[in-house]
Parts: sequence; structure tokens; C-alpha cells
Amino acid sequence: MKTGDHEQDGMLLRRASRGDEDSFSALYEKHQGALYRFALRMTGSPWGAEEIVQDVFMTLIREPSKYDPQRGALAAFLFGIARNKVMKHNERLPREISITGRNEDGNGAGISLQHSITPALLTEKRERLEKVRAAVLELPVEFRETVVLCDLEELTYDEAAKMLDCPIGTIRSRLHRGRALLLAKLEMLRDTPQRWRAVR
Amino acid sequence: MTLGTNERYEMNCNEFEIFGLDAERDSSLSDELRSQALEHLQLCASCAALKDSWESAKTELITLRDFTEGHESPARVKLRVLQEFRTKHHSVQVRRRTKFAAWALAAAAILLCAVITWNWRMSQRDANARLISQNGPGTPNIAWTAPRKQSGLAGPEQTATLVADNGGDFTILPGTIWQETDDGTIVRVAMQRAELSALGFPVNEERAAEYVQVDLLLASDGSPQALRVPQ
Repeated sequence: MKTGDHEQDGMLLRRASRGDEDSFSALYEKHQGALYRFALRMTGSPWGAEEIVQDVFMTLIREPSKYDPQRGALAAFLFGIARNKVMKHNERLPREISITGRNEDGNGAGISLQHSITPALLTEKRERLEKVRAAVLELPVEFRETVVLCDLEELTYDEAAKMLDCPIGTIRSRLHRGRALLLAKLEMLRDTPQRWRAVR
Repeated sequence: MTLGTNERYEMNCNEFEIFGLDAERDSSLSDELRSQALEHLQLCASCAALKDSWESAKTELITLRDFTEGHESPARVKLRVLQEFRTKHHSVQVRRRTKFAAWALAAAAILLCAVITWNWRMSQRDANARLISQNGPGTPNIAWTAPRKQSGLAGPEQTATLVADNGGDFTILPGTIWQETDDGTIVRVAMQRAELSALGFPVNEERAAEYVQVDLLLASDGSPQALRVPQ
């Protein structure tokens, strides 16, 4: 979230709110991937993630004035909307866990058939990944979003704090508890003894 | 966690779990805390095992991240979003155009009314000025009178009510007491020349039976006041 990005987003949004479709398209292309992945990792549902991304941009189209550049970057604003949509989605629907990792279009990485991977290895890897994904999805939502943002989206603690609009200490504490839960689940999957003491 | 000058603070296991586990990524940590975390890691076997465990979990998280790294929303989402964008901005443009057209029409209508009113007033003024210049003082103002009565001196197809003086002087009829009136009426009638002779007009005897068109000026009570032969 550099200053240049912030200014560029602001400029694109101003143009888009005047009806410039190219600017809106550029904004969409810039942010949709991260939003989709965030929503996918938070909901575990490609359909849900798709709906959330759509809703986020619909909100931006209908109420562009809701975004105040003084309060932070556009990405943080969009993630804020996405978070709310994720919460609503999770309240509304039972969690779906997709085993394929591909969405309807067949779009997305999935597990690529890498050079030396045998089908058996691929299946094993896919199963393992699915368990990790399920473990992440089972985290309580406030821990899950910090784990997703910091450990999967690789945001810094500071960026995550800005995005979630909370102090950095809260991020650290949520991460600590979220990781403890996650580690406990993963160790159970590995059948290794639990080493985490803080959360028991 | 401030330290005295001679005091050496040692991080405990609980603090290590909070601050030390991901110390290399947490840019908000001070160098001091980071070095204490490292120190604790070297001294505490349990935390070292925990760190190892977390590193392997991180590897799995990284694999998961890489697995979903290229995921993007499907193209149909973009289509739907762009459709909404177009609809919104198209309707805004249409609304703007409609508003502009409505204002332009209203302005044109006002301008048209103003021009019509101006022309009407000017034509009224010209007509008044023409009448004033044509009618001398004492002449009854007959320009704007409404027709009162049709003359019975000739057939109805031969009578007409004039609304303006079209030239020529009236001759007061013999034996008439002139009545000053503001709303006299002029009627055009057909009369035999012989009748004009009875009223004192010079008439050619050979054409005495012919009919001619004359204008009769009627007083407000309907009695003829004056007569003229239109040219």
C-alpha cells in the first residue's frame, strides 16, 4: 500500500465516478484478485467469494463517496467491505469446503501438475492442503482474518492493523491465538504431540 | 518491558509465543525484543520445538497460499460489475440530458411567449396610432366597436359590419340630430341610387334603379346618423 498506489487509486476512482469505464476496469483488475482470494480463504466457497467480490464492487459503483481518502487506502476500504460481506455470508450459509480449489470457470491455480509429481503424491498433497484449508476455515472469524491477512496474504502487521482498523497489539494478540489454534489442529493432523502451551 | 541500566531482562515462554514466534516479520518489534526472543529461543528447548513446529505449519500455509495464489474472480463477475457500472452511468447521463432538454424547452417557451406578447403589443400600438391619425376630433371612435345590429335596408347577404374606417367622409343625413357616441356602428348596405337622391345626394337619373354599396353610421340607439359611399 504505497503512497503512489494510494494516489493512483484515488485518481482512478475519481475518473470512474465520472463514468470512465477504463478507469473503473483498471481499479477492478488491480484489486479483484486479492479480494477474491481473501473471500475464498475466509469462506472456503468459490461461489461465496465470487458473490462477495461482486458486492464489493457494486458498493463502490453505487456509493463511491463512501470512500474517504483521508481515512486510508482504497484497498483497505474494499477489504473492509469484503470483511462485512464475509461476516454476513458466514452467518447466512453453512461453511462450504471446496476440495477442488477451482472455481466455476476452471479459473485459478488449483494444484498444478508439476513436473515430477506422481498422481499418488498429488492426491496426498491435495488432501493435506485441504486439511490445512479446513483448519484455517475452522478458526474463529476474527482469528481467521488475521491469519489470512498476515500469513496467507502476507500483509505486514501494520498493514493488517490498518485494514482491520484496529491497533497493532490486537493484531499480534489475535495472531498469537489464531496460530495457537491452527498449530494445535495441524499437529493433530500430523499426529504429533501438542507443543503449544498458551492456548489449551 | 523496559529495562534498568544494570538489569538484564529475560523473555519468558509466554512472551516468546506472542512476540518471538514471528519476530522476523513483525516490523513493529524493537531490536531489543527481537534479540531477547532469539536469546530465549537458544535457551528454551520447548520454545525451540514450538518454533520448529510453527515453521512447518508456516510451510503448509505457504503451500496453501501458493495453491490459491493465482485465484481470481471469474470473468462473469467483471461482466456483471461492468454492466452495473454502465447502467448507472448511462442512466445518469440520460437524466442529465433530459434535465438539460427540459430546461431548454422551458426557456424556448418563455422566449416564444415574450416575442408573441411583444409583437401583439406593437401591432396594437400601431393600430391605435393609425386610427388616431385617421379620425379627427369629434369623429366617433368606431375602430373597436362590436357589431350591434344588421341594417334592414337591404338583404342580409348584402350587409356587413365594418370594424374600421376604410376611408372617405360621412355625410350627415338630412334631419338627423348628431349624437356624440363612442361606440357607433358602421354597416354596409346596398341601396338604390334613387334613395340616395332622396337623402340629398346627386344621382344620375339614368342609373337611378341601380344598387350601390353605402356605409351607414348608426348611433348607439340604432338610428342612422351619417352615410358615405365607399370608394
